[in-house]
Amino acid sequence: MPLTQIKTSNLDSTNGLFFRNRIINGAMMIDQRNAGASVTPSSDAYTLDRWTTWTYAASKFSVQQNAGSVTPPTGFVNYLGITSTSAYSVPTGEGFAMMQKIEGYNMADLGWGAVGASSVTLSFWVRSSLTGTFGGALNNSAQTRSYPFSYAINSANTWEYKTVTIAGDTTGTWLTTNGAGILLKFGLGVGATLSGTAGTWAGANYASATGATSVVGTNGATFYITGVQLEKGTAATPFEYRPYGTELYLCQRYYTQLVGNYSPDFSVPNASYVNYWTHCWQFPQAMRSSPTVSQISGTTITMDQYGIGPATVSSNQVGSVNQYYGRITVVTSSPSSADPGSAISPTGTFWQASAEL
Amino acid sequence: MTYQYLKDPYTKQNRIDAIYRVEDRATIPLDPANTDYQVYLKWLEEGNTPEPADE
Repeated sequence: MPLTQIKTSNLDSTNGLFFRNRIINGAMMIDQRNAGASVTPSSDAYTLDRWTTWTYAASKFSVQQNAGSVTPPTGFVNYLGITSTSAYSVPTGEGFAMMQKIEGYNMADLGWGAVGASSVTLSFWVRSSLTGTFGGALNNSAQTRSYPFSYAINSANTWEYKTVTIAGDTTGTWLTTNGAGILLKFGLGVGATLSGTAGTWAGANYASATGATSVVGTNGATFYITGVQLEKGTAATPFEYRPYGTELYLCQRYYTQLVGNYSPDFSVPNASYVNYWTHCWQFPQAMRSSPTVSQISGTTITMDQYGIGPATVSSNQVGSVNQYYGRITVVTSSPSSADPGSAISPTGTFWQASAEL
Repeated sequence: MTYQYLKDPYTKQNRIDAIYRVEDRATIPLDPANTDYQVYLKWLEEGNTPEPADE
């Protein structure tokens, strides 16, 4: 991006040229969990990295990177695609949204919750099969502070660029720790009691603007979004393209997988545990908290004995975990005994670590 | 949701650093910043108790 496209008037001493965007994976490039496959969440679930569903009823929409295979806006190669799976009339106390929770450390400089709170500007590209007024909201972690916003989609199935400037909230409690600082929601159908007046702060739990269009209300309706940027200040600057590796690394603070492909080694520690194979998994970076570690759904753990053939896995357990490491132990029935130091290795990606907000 | 205590595979002692969530085979460290642990604490407050560890 030519630097001339960024007006110096849009920058101040703390909103510099780099890392202006408080949203991680705003270009929807990273999809560690599903690798481009479609998912239909039955409850709140992370989809593309850092983007979670906010849902009161199961299976009302699917989420997929580049759903429908339309051409993204110029400069982007990916988008997050929502497809409604039914014509659901959202009850007054229910709601559906795509959400990103921004870690408190990454918005602390905004000074929200006190006099002098900085304004922020949200910008994004959106495309829908529906037209009309759509909505979303910013919330604090307790969801006791809300700023509903609205935007118009004027033409069906056409990418449109939107910006919303939001005055900083001078009241409320906004976490500036490794907890959730700001919740950004894009409404997909929100009931009346969870919707509020657009363009003003409220001491309530609102996820969208009153009267906004419901995507889940129309079977087959689509809602595609990319280039999401939330930055300090009252003007939108061009989307901050970060290198893929940088964006992946930012995501891995919250979620990562142990990528196994005949590596790494799981080894027998000593002669007392001749069929216990342990690996100390070093996470790519310090995770936000000690992560939850689990076997990836739908996988069957297979281990290779380096030329001897597959091992037979009878169980596995995750041992001690902290922000930096997790210990995984696999027990085999075949081989039932091996010398200390012997090693086997996974033949696929079977474990995940999540420290999501 | 169902939770279960864990035994250390080596020492065979009950672990005091993690709880097991049965449905998705997830090991949850007892870290107050871990959101799964926060959900587990609410589950306890509702009067629930974890299953004993497998022998």
